[in-house]
Amino acid sequence: MHAIIYRWPRYLISLFLIITLNFALPRMMPGDPIANLIGESAYVSEATIQEITQSLGLDRPLHEQFTLYLQSLASLDLGYSYLLHAEVSSIIIERMIWTLGFVGIATLIGVILGVLLGAAAGMNRSQKSSQLWTYGSIAISSTPPYFLGLIALSIFSFHFGLFPLKGAPATGGILTWLHHLALPIAVLALFIAARNCLIMRGSVIQELHEHYPLYAKAKGLTDRMVLRRHILKNASLPVITQIALDIGFIFSGALFIEIVFSMPGMGMLIYDAVLSRDYPILEGCLLVIAIMVILANIAADILYGIIDPRIRRGE
Amino acid sequence: MNRAGLIGFAILSIFFLMAVAPWIFAPYDPYIRFTPYAEPGTDHILGTNDMGHDILSELIYSARASLFVGFVAAILATLLGVIIGIIAGYYRGWIEDLLMGVTDIFLMIPKIPMIIIIAAFLGSGIWVLILVFGAFSWTAIARIARSKVLQIRESGFVLSARCLGFSNRFIMAREIAPNLTHIVFPKFMLLAASAMITEASISFIGLGDPSMKSWGVMLSFAFTKGGLLNGMWWWYIPPGIAISVCVMAIALIGYSREKGADIGVRG
Repeated sequence: MHAIIYRWPRYLISLFLIITLNFALPRMMPGDPIANLIGESAYVSEATIQEITQSLGLDRPLHEQFTLYLQSLASLDLGYSYLLHAEVSSIIIERMIWTLGFVGIATLIGVILGVLLGAAAGMNRSQKSSQLWTYGSIAISSTPPYFLGLIALSIFSFHFGLFPLKGAPATGGILTWLHHLALPIAVLALFIAARNCLIMRGSVIQELHEHYPLYAKAKGLTDRMVLRRHILKNASLPVITQIALDIGFIFSGALFIEIVFSMPGMGMLIYDAVLSRDYPILEGCLLVIAIMVILANIAADILYGIIDPRIRRGE
Repeated sequence: MNRAGLIGFAILSIFFLMAVAPWIFAPYDPYIRFTPYAEPGTDHILGTNDMGHDILSELIYSARASLFVGFVAAILATLLGVIIGIIAGYYRGWIEDLLMGVTDIFLMIPKIPMIIIIAAFLGSGIWVLILVFGAFSWTAIARIARSKVLQIRESGFVLSARCLGFSNRFIMAREIAPNLTHIVFPKFMLLAASAMITEASISFIGLGDPSMKSWGVMLSFAFTKGGLLNGMWWWYIPPGIAISVCVMAIALIGYSREKGADIGVRG
């Protein structure tokens, strides 16, 4: 618990920094601030411009504008998209459910796979199979995630016709959904597994240098028991930190995979917003992603405390 | 350097040659227009794209932009990280607390969404990408540089230099910094690798530099101009493979220089 309390101010400052950037970007960038605030290709009437100027206080000094901005954020108002004609917050919530589900399932599969393969690769470093996992992981983590998606799409969907081209069905039961989502989830999970496999491998090798695995082995435990009972818990600590720090990266990877598979999540939302320069949507997405990264870090702190009692007791 | 590192070095050298003198390798100027959408054949080994440009030549000429972004962004981030890490580790006290606090805060900012939004506002260009990547990627280097400086600030040669009355700045630049190269270099290579992947990703959603050819821009056009839907694999597979092979070569050099078996990757 000690660590969490100690880190709180940092999380809050990170959030504040993102909010400030979000506030400053459209107002500081070259060009008309109104165009920057509502999006370049949005057409609005003179009366609406008046209304926006009023509600955002654009005719007032910057610090008053900032207070207004913070107030609207506090009431969960992320602005209005003049291109999609809806509240940014309601659009994002609708899309976020997709992305969260997608990232959640893929992370779960990827982490378990990565930790198991990494542990195996670390225990028997000289075996052919463990070298295969290691170099395979390096190859996958050297590839942009969306390119993995493109390859999977072109092989399994175009050539073999095993999976549909789009990652989201309009109707259908759970089987149809699984059929549509299987490929994108597999791609993201593979990507996450590759990164975690490398970290877990390094971590296990480091733990092997300690005395306790040697002692456990001298006691007569088999390699597998030493790994499961003693090393696994200690070696997974760096993995937790890594996943928390990685969550922004995993999210970005997921966004690009969503684009390749045309899934209706935040990735497509950001892609469309970039193409149409819908700034309110982009700003809202940045803020929401930043909040999720911070939440993931807090979750990692708590999990760390559960797994490592030394941290819980504040030693 | 181990065998994997040497292989990586050989591959990277070839890519560097392509970046410096692409005309040696490329069969055509990448801006000459032939029949568009040609299939691979004897005239065009990898066919032509929607504009009629020869894809193989385009691929070779693209090495320059991708490598440039990767290495310049990594140099920027590394310089920032090393400077911050040395100052934090050398002065200690409140300066260290402050700088490491800032590092923790920057570590939490999602980089790619940040680059997307800034590039959307400022217009796309490689310098936007390089500067924003550099500004948000120095954190890992600052952390390892600091912990190494904490070790060597108490060692004999640093103490002697202080007794001799050298200025702090001189000690940091001439006595401490050179001792950081072997721990910073692997991280530098991994940063260059991650900057190249970031460039490829940002270009893919149309925020790449329109005036330059890069592998990410090629992939983006292949995706949006129907290369994927028409099954023209010779258009979208080669640039992706080029990115992966080049990034992997860089990563292998980095790993081979890393002490021990710690091969954690940071994006």
